[in-house]
Amino acid sequence: MFAITFHHMIVGIASGTGILMGICALLAWLGNFVSNLDDFQQSFDKTSLLSSILCFICMPLAIFSGTYATSDPGGIAILYNKFVFSGLAIGFTASFIAGRVRFGEKIWNDFKLSTLQMICASGAMFWIIITGSIGGKISIGESVMDIMPFWPDFTSTIVLPWWISMVMLVFGIASIFVALKLGPTVNKISD
Amino acid sequence: MMKSRILVLTIIIGFLLTSTSSMANPGGEVDSNRDFTCGGSCHGDPSLSAPSDAVIEIRTVNTTYAGTMTEVEVSISGMDLSKNRLLGVFLLGSINGNSDTPSDYDWSIIQDPNGGSSNYVLIFVPESGEITINWVLLAPSEVGPQSIYVSIHHGSDSNPDNRAFIGTTEGYSIQIDSIPDDYPTIADNWVALEERVAGDDSPLQFSTVNTDVLSVEWRLAGEIESHTAEVVGADNEWQAQIPASLGDTRIEYRITASQGEYNNQMPWLSMDTVPPYFDGNLFGARLQSISSALIIIGFVLTMHMILAPRQKKDELDQTLEVETSEEVSEPIPIEEIPDIEPEVENDDTEEYNSRLIHSEDNPGWLWDPVESEWVADPNNPPGGDS
Repeated sequence: MFAITFHHMIVGIASGTGILMGICALLAWLGNFVSNLDDFQQSFDKTSLLSSILCFICMPLAIFSGTYATSDPGGIAILYNKFVFSGLAIGFTASFIAGRVRFGEKIWNDFKLSTLQMICASGAMFWIIITGSIGGKISIGESVMDIMPFWPDFTSTIVLPWWISMVMLVFGIASIFVALKLGPTVNKISD
Repeated sequence: MMKSRILVLTIIIGFLLTSTSSMANPGGEVDSNRDFTCGGSCHGDPSLSAPSDAVIEIRTVNTTYAGTMTEVEVSISGMDLSKNRLLGVFLLGSINGNSDTPSDYDWSIIQDPNGGSSNYVLIFVPESGEITINWVLLAPSEVGPQSIYVSIHHGSDSNPDNRAFIGTTEGYSIQIDSIPDDYPTIADNWVALEERVAGDDSPLQFSTVNTDVLSVEWRLAGEIESHTAEVVGADNEWQAQIPASLGDTRIEYRITASQGEYNNQMPWLSMDTVPPYFDGNLFGARLQSISSALIIIGFVLTMHMILAPRQKKDELDQTLEVETSEEVSEPIPIEEIPDIEPEVENDDTEEYNSRLIHSEDNPGWLWDPVESEWVADPNNPPGGDS
C-alpha cells in the first residue's frame, strides 16, 4: 500500500525535475542563438544541473517503489518497457551531469558540447515523459501522450536475451573506463 | 477542554459526511461465481438498494436431456446506467441469497458471455442500452423440473441518494428429461477452450460419449456463413482443425455429435485470440535497463573525448615567436625558450617528424606544412649554440 503511495510521490518529483532539466538545458543551449536568453544562461545552467541531480536520485527510487507496487513487474510487456525506458532516462541524465561536471559551467559556450548536453537533457526528458505516460495509462487510463495523433504500441516489447544484455553491460563499463582513465585529460572550459 | 471536544465532534462529523458520499463498488466486480446477494453488497441491502427499471428476458428450451448442452439467452434493456455503463449480470439456480448459483443445482457452465465459466459477468452496455448475452450450460444429470433466474446489478447516472439498483426475473422453468440410451453428447468432463494464442493452429480437442461421428463448424464472430473443420479421431476422442487466428478476433464453433438416428447439434461456443505469452522477467528487465543506461553513458563520455576543445595545438604553434624573432633578428636566449618538449613528445611520431622541414633562413625552427606553422627544432633550439 505504502509502496504505491511512495511510488506516486517519487514519480512526481522525478518527472517534474526531469522536465525542468530538459527545458532549462534547451533554453541554455538556445542562449547561444537568442541574445535575450544569453543573460539567463547561467541561471538555466544552474537550474538544469540541480534538477538533473535530484532527478538522478529520484529515478532509482521510483523504479524500486514501482517494482514493489506491482505484482509482476517484469512479467508484463508494458511494465518491462517501463524498466527499459527508465534505464534510458537514467543514462541520459547521468551523461548530462557528467558533461556539466567535467567541463564546468562554461560548457554552454562551446557549441558542440552544449549541443551534446542539450541532446542528453532532451533524451532524458523524452524517456521520462514516455515512462510517465505509460504509468498514467496503466493507473488512470489516460496520459499526456493522448494528445498525440498516434500512440505507440507499448503492450509489446523487445526482450533481449540475457547474454546480449550482459555484453552490452560489459561494453558500457569498458567504454566508460576507457573514456575516463585511458583517454586524454578533459579540462574545464574557461573564458 | 472545549477545544478538544469541538475537534472530536468535527472529526466524527467528517467521518459521517465521508461515509454518506462514498459508493461501494462503482467500478463493478470482476467475473466470478457469485451468489444472488453478491456477498452482502449494497445491491442486496434493502436500505441501500432500489429496484431496477430494466426489462430482462430469458430465452431457452423448455425441456432438455440430462447432461446435454443447453443455451440460455438473456436480453436486457431499458435501464438507466451510470456513466461507466457497467452492468453486472447473474445467472442463478434460485434466489435464496446463498448457495444459489447454477452449479449448486447441478448445472455446469460450459461458457459464459465473456468466454469464461462464471455465473456472474460484468458487461459494458453500448449506448443503445440493450444487450443480448448467452450462457452455455450442461444440464443436470438428475431428471425433474429446474428453474433459471437472472439478476442484474447496476448504478445510475441520476442517482442523488446513491442507490444500488437490482433487478431479478421470475424463475424460468426447464424440464430435465432422462437422456435416451446411446444419445451422443459432449463428455461432462470436457472443458471449452476459453482462448487461443495468436497464430496457434494446433487442433481443438473434444471428448464425447456415444458418438460415432463428430462434425465441427466454425466462423469468425459476426459472420453468418460457417465453415466445416477437418475432424479426425475415434473412440469419443476427437481433434478438429480450426485455422489460426490473429489480432483481436474471436472464433465461434459448433459441435454436432451423431450416432445412428441421433444427431445432437450443440450451441455455438467461442474462444478469444490472445497475444503470445510474454517471456520477460524482472531480472532480464533490470539487466536490460542497466546495460542500456551504461551504453548511453559510455557513448556520451566518448563523445566528450572527441568534442573536447584541444589546447595542445595552440601550445605547439610557435609561428608568432618565429615571426617576432625574424623582426627583432635577435637570438632568443635559450632560457626563454618555451618548454614545449613534453607536449611535442605526445605527438612525437615518425610521421610527424618526417613532415617537418628545415629552413636555412630560420635556424632552430622547423616548418610544419600541414598545420602551416613554425615549431621549435628540439635538436637545435632557436638561439642555441649550434
